[in-house]
Amino acid sequence: MDENVIKFKALRNTLGIIFVLLVISAIRLQIIQGKKYYRLSEENRIRKRYISAPRGKIFDRNNLELANTRPGFYVSVIQAVVDSNSLKEISNILGLDTKTIKETMKMEKNPFIAVKIAHDISHRQLAIIEEKIDELNGIEVGVEPVRNYPYVDILCHLVGYVGEITYDEIKKDNSYSIGDYIGRMGLEEQYEKHLRGSDGIEYIEVDARGRMIGRISEKRPIPITNGKDLYTTIDLALTESVAVYLQNYKKASCVCLNPQNGEILVLYSKPGYDPNLFAHGLQQQEWQRLNNAPDAPMYNRAIMSCYPCGSTFKPFVALAALDANMVTNEKRFEPCRGEYRLGRRIFRCWKIHYSLDLTNAIVHSCDIYFYQLGRFIGIDTIVSRARDVGFGKKTGIDIPHEKAGLLPDRAWFEKRYGKNWTEGHIFNLSVGQGDLLVTPLQLATTFTVFANDGKIPVPHLIKHTAVSYHTTSISKEAINLVKEALLGVVSSGTGTLAGIRNCEVCGKTGTAQNPHGNDHSIFVGFAPAHDPQILVCVIVENAGHGGSIAAPIAGKIMKTYLANITSETPVYQKSGGDDALQKQVF
Amino acid sequence: MLKKVDRTLIILIIILSLIGLAMIYSTAGMTYMLRQGTWLAAAIFIAFIFSTITPRIWSNLAPYIYAITLILLFLLLFTHGTYPKRWFKIGEFSLQPSEFAKFATVLMLASFLATKKKLKTFTDMIIPLVIVTIPALLIFIEPDLGAAQIFFPILIIMLYWAGVPFPKIFIFFSPVVSAVASFSIYVWVVYIAAFTVFLYFRKQLSDFIYGFVSNSLAGLVMPVIWNSIKEYQQKRIISFFSPWLDPQGMSWQIIQSKIAIGSGKLLGKGFLSGTQKKLEFLPERHTDFIFSCLGEEFGLLGIVVTVMLYVFLLYRILVLAKETKNRFASIFVSGVLAWIGYQTFLNIGMTMGLLPITGVPLPFLSYGGSSLLACFMAISVCLKISKSKLEY
Repeated sequence: MDENVIKFKALRNTLGIIFVLLVISAIRLQIIQGKKYYRLSEENRIRKRYISAPRGKIFDRNNLELANTRPGFYVSVIQAVVDSNSLKEISNILGLDTKTIKETMKMEKNPFIAVKIAHDISHRQLAIIEEKIDELNGIEVGVEPVRNYPYVDILCHLVGYVGEITYDEIKKDNSYSIGDYIGRMGLEEQYEKHLRGSDGIEYIEVDARGRMIGRISEKRPIPITNGKDLYTTIDLALTESVAVYLQNYKKASCVCLNPQNGEILVLYSKPGYDPNLFAHGLQQQEWQRLNNAPDAPMYNRAIMSCYPCGSTFKPFVALAALDANMVTNEKRFEPCRGEYRLGRRIFRCWKIHYSLDLTNAIVHSCDIYFYQLGRFIGIDTIVSRARDVGFGKKTGIDIPHEKAGLLPDRAWFEKRYGKNWTEGHIFNLSVGQGDLLVTPLQLATTFTVFANDGKIPVPHLIKHTAVSYHTTSISKEAINLVKEALLGVVSSGTGTLAGIRNCEVCGKTGTAQNPHGNDHSIFVGFAPAHDPQILVCVIVENAGHGGSIAAPIAGKIMKTYLANITSETPVYQKSGGDDALQKQVF
Repeated sequence: MLKKVDRTLIILIIILSLIGLAMIYSTAGMTYMLRQGTWLAAAIFIAFIFSTITPRIWSNLAPYIYAITLILLFLLLFTHGTYPKRWFKIGEFSLQPSEFAKFATVLMLASFLATKKKLKTFTDMIIPLVIVTIPALLIFIEPDLGAAQIFFPILIIMLYWAGVPFPKIFIFFSPVVSAVASFSIYVWVVYIAAFTVFLYFRKQLSDFIYGFVSNSLAGLVMPVIWNSIKEYQQKRIISFFSPWLDPQGMSWQIIQSKIAIGSGKLLGKGFLSGTQKKLEFLPERHTDFIFSCLGEEFGLLGIVVTVMLYVFLLYRILVLAKETKNRFASIFVSGVLAWIGYQTFLNIGMTMGLLPITGVPLPFLSYGGSSLLACFMAISVCLKISKSKLEY
């Protein structure tokens, strides 16, 4: 055969093979995988965009806003489009390092979904980004609702804050996506589902640089559902007054509630922090600094701090004794001479009271009377009644992270100190010292037993809640007897500084010894005595005597509140003004 | 004038050029289409002139044309302006000498190979290798790796067509294979063993000595050179030769190109309505990736028709090469076949993700005057040859 013909055939066959190869791969791409690539091309141009729903507002009992939303600008990145230069540029503008941005981006598996990397950027940053937007591929700026707390640190513990969701939380609940905010602490955490609302989705057509061309009409957008508002029982004005009354003290907490229905008026803890900081993505270091600060500003003392309750426990020891019918009101023990000897130990009283009956022992808060009373009725009698009114267990308030305190009983003592625990422990328990621990809220709740004739409401923060009561089995007579004594505490005893003119006030002072410094000053009281509208529990850390520090503050609080609810003219001015602006943007 | 010429060739290149114009309009708009249209008119005009020149004249002119092209390529390296240095800017239009270098080199190679009646030894292949290496090197320095590497397949096909047995060509170029294989010691050992067996059965001492020595040297020296250079230099070389390893840049192009073609399905999204190209997802839409847009807008149907046009064109050129009795003309036509064929399949294979991205334009379709002009020049010489194919 001619050499040329062989070469011709070789090249012709090569040509044929290549032709078949190209047609087969075209068929594979366009027919076999055509649907997939068509879908990809649609995903390419159609971008799902999430629109954050504004969170519900939180109102106080007089419809003042405790938490609302304002518009803020966010920056988001589309992984599939962004390049390294744009990343570097945006990280410079925002002052974030590229590594952090990349980590955030990595959380989103779909590279075509915009991932928010910065929230609530400053106007300066916004201006720089807008100016350079043509060079920043895959970077978007948008408006989103930003949580706003107008009353900064006086309500931070109660209301809580919102923080960016973590990857683990998204895994647990797939209704969240990266860059979403979730309620943390307080009402924000407890009522997350109620407040959150649901994000909307809109479908937009974009070009290769991720820039919006227009909306897609074929795909129906999912509208946002605004979060529902939350109407609380909190009294903002009273809380502000409390903050003012406590302004000279570093660490304190205060609980005010309506003892008849358990509505919480004030839940205040000091020191606080600015929850607005969390709205624009708190840096790790800042968070650490807040969390590790020695005075623990993140800590809600009103429900999380456990204090020895001091003499405020005495009314419950008396209540137990009377209820068990082991003593009458006229019962007297060895007179108080300032100290009491038990074996080799000496137990002291803060004053020499001489001989007292039960009522006067409460009124003048005589330790030596109660040492003997406690020993006389026995630990089991005390503990069973104390537990009945709420010591040692959570009150069931509707915000998370509440502590239960500690009510030591026989079993606890045996476990802690072995068989050798002594009467000395009962002595300490009888005056609220030693191992007994309560939270301010718990202490306030236990006192409703006197204010509300044995019916103890579950404290709560939401208006119109069906209140559930715990009715104690303690006899009414016993309660009334101790209540009379509490009246005496304020009218003529240790708590006279809590008195209000023309109003009967019941209360009890407490001075809690503690290993961290000066005594904590405690006062729990309610007024008016026969139709209690407010029950106040004030604990000022390391401030000294209960009667001299906490009692006058509690008196002022009760007076302020009672004056407000009886006055005809509206005391509160509705603060507003931002509403119009917000409606325009969202 | 058009008597006796292969009219099929003319019809095919005109149809392909018109498809090109339509796709350029779809991807880049009116301005680009008009500009390409002007180039097309110029190309047809030049083709008319070229088709009057006989193969003998071409053969005699070849060294001068080749020399002028080399000078142009050399001068291009000293121009000031954009980087990479690939174009001479002349007012609105720009010229890409590398495209004309393909034409000139094919001409020069054909002219040289035609003078050698017997091509049997390795030394016969050295001068052709030098002829293609000089322009390839100059283009490589620009840098334009995609255009530079095209010369070597052209050389191989032309040597084959000129009469060098294929095993001989393979052994001649085998040190390159050995050097590439030496990056993995296992691959290299297997390769060298298989190659030795192959040489043994060839039963030619000269083949064995050349093949074994050159392959061993290439395989042993390459790793030494590689390890003696700095790491950043290695990285630079790797990324230069394999840009498709860069995930953010190149694979994005491949993915988008595959999405464009695949989403066209059977009949395509329709002329002017490709979403991939419209929304700028496709890179280099009117140049290197014009075929992807064709696949998106006209579907499998459009692709099969276009590929068939190309294959038919190449087949006609191949038949011409076979039937032409003039040795120079025949070898020249084989060079044109290699050039247009290789570039076509490289480009289409790239858009479908079968081959790495090399940045080679698709003949007749891609936007670019120099490429169009050079292809038309080559085909017009073929036309003249087809008119007088039986002359010696």
